[in-house]
Amino acid sequence: MSLLELHDVTSGYGYGPDILNGVTLTVETGRSYCIIGPNGAGKSTLLKTVAGLLRPRQGQILFDGSAIGGTRPDLVLATGVCYVPQDRSLFPEMSVKENLVMGAFLERDKAVIAERMDRVFQMFPVLQNRLHQRAGTMSGGEQQMLALGRALMVEPRLLMIDEPSLGLAPQVADQIFEIIGSLADLDITLLLVEQNVLSGLACTDWAFLLDLGELRIEAPSDQILDDPRIRELYLGRQKETSRPSAPDGEGET
Amino acid sequence: MTHLVQVVILGLLLGGVYALMASGLTLMFGVMRIVNLAHGVFIIAACYVAFYLFQGPGWDPFVSLLVTVPLFFLIGIVVYAALFPRIEGSPRFTEMTVLLTFAIALIAEGALAYFFTGTFRTTDPPYKTDAILIGDFFIPTAQFYAAITSIVLLLGLWAFLYFTRTGYAVRATMQNRTAAQIVGVNVRRVSTIAFGIGMALAGASGSLISFLFPFFPARHWQWIAILLALIVLGGLGSLKGAVVGALVLAVLAGIVSDQLGPTWSPMTFFGALFLILLIRPQGLFGHQARVG
Repeated sequence: MSLLELHDVTSGYGYGPDILNGVTLTVETGRSYCIIGPNGAGKSTLLKTVAGLLRPRQGQILFDGSAIGGTRPDLVLATGVCYVPQDRSLFPEMSVKENLVMGAFLERDKAVIAERMDRVFQMFPVLQNRLHQRAGTMSGGEQQMLALGRALMVEPRLLMIDEPSLGLAPQVADQIFEIIGSLADLDITLLLVEQNVLSGLACTDWAFLLDLGELRIEAPSDQILDDPRIRELYLGRQKETSRPSAPDGEGET
Repeated sequence: MTHLVQVVILGLLLGGVYALMASGLTLMFGVMRIVNLAHGVFIIAACYVAFYLFQGPGWDPFVSLLVTVPLFFLIGIVVYAALFPRIEGSPRFTEMTVLLTFAIALIAEGALAYFFTGTFRTTDPPYKTDAILIGDFFIPTAQFYAAITSIVLLLGLWAFLYFTRTGYAVRATMQNRTAAQIVGVNVRRVSTIAFGIGMALAGASGSLISFLFPFFPARHWQWIAILLALIVLGGLGSLKGAVVGALVLAVLAGIVSDQLGPTWSPMTFFGALFLILLIRPQGLFGHQARVG
């Protein structure tokens, strides 16, 4: 069953040019997807457009059958679509606990919030130890865990994560990928954007390859990993961009 | 020494009222990145409300808070909803707000001068010239009441921000607008409420300074200049900074006025502004601005 459908979606920033050029794709319930492609391909733009942070200039976005394209971000979230941006977008002056509570902002039942928080602590025990630490003072890996934990407080049906490994030491990144791989057990459909293509493909079922704002290839992740032509064309760049300082073209605007 | 303590006490009393004025201004910048140059003119407008309530039905300026606070909250909601969403998507939003609020300030000043003339006004509650003596120190009653009221209102603001759901949403939006959106905060609604609260604080300040400082429409330029200096010193968008900046500068201005004469007192604010921009441009409690 399809959970998210994009039909001919075009999108971009402000008065700037189109970054996403008529993308049509379908995300099936329960699967995990990795969106790969070179810098400026429109990967982050796609996630932001689905999340409601950008308004599609053209085309339709359906989540669970209802149109969400151009809807306010808080209303998109209420349907069960949660987005974790590249810069993690934590509340730096708030404690770990306050950040998690903010994650469940749309949930008013305190008991439900406490229950969700317990579940987050089971996945990320380190957060429980840092309950009263200010988010802005944590390490990159801990901040990413908090960002993921905060997203899980929503109990999303679709979780979109943008570049979770950005700026993390390799061992820490591996830990994050392991956790992301385990999200499938929670009945969460996953849409992952990752520059670290090999790790991204390894923890997902399916892949979309975007280039210049268009969907080029759609295939099972392991098939992409094994395809010599794709490896050469797109994954070859892996070496020079494996530790990107700042992605150009699509920044964290 | 006793004399210096006396000067500091007077400075702190005034600083409380400055803090109230500055907190509204810094809240607007913190939540919405609006530099509200019209903040001073709305304070003066509230002075007139307090003045006519005093002249007409004879309401004490403190009772006039019951009118100015809700009235200016509503004006804030209307002004925000009518004007700001139009420039919301602009990549130069903050610069646009400077122009927009400058225009509002000019128009409002003109309207005030037209209806209420340019005559100096002040409310004259009976305790205006009273003083309380504590030991060797003398505390002007009116300033004491005004400072206490400011503290109560600021505590109310603090309680709202830290203990209510909407308050959490306001703080979240101040710290990271995108993050607030992605956890489900309706930032348009929060912005409207925050602007209304900022204006309510301007309204409250108007009631209080109506008997502390004589006013006339064009007086607001002097206030906004001082308030901007206070919030830049504290760090734009930081409430703690606005309060600390207000107290520090009010005391400093008092000392300067006492030592060098009252003519030099306004210089304190701009001298401090100049220094802080040289030494620590993000202000005492501010963060390095993120461009974009």
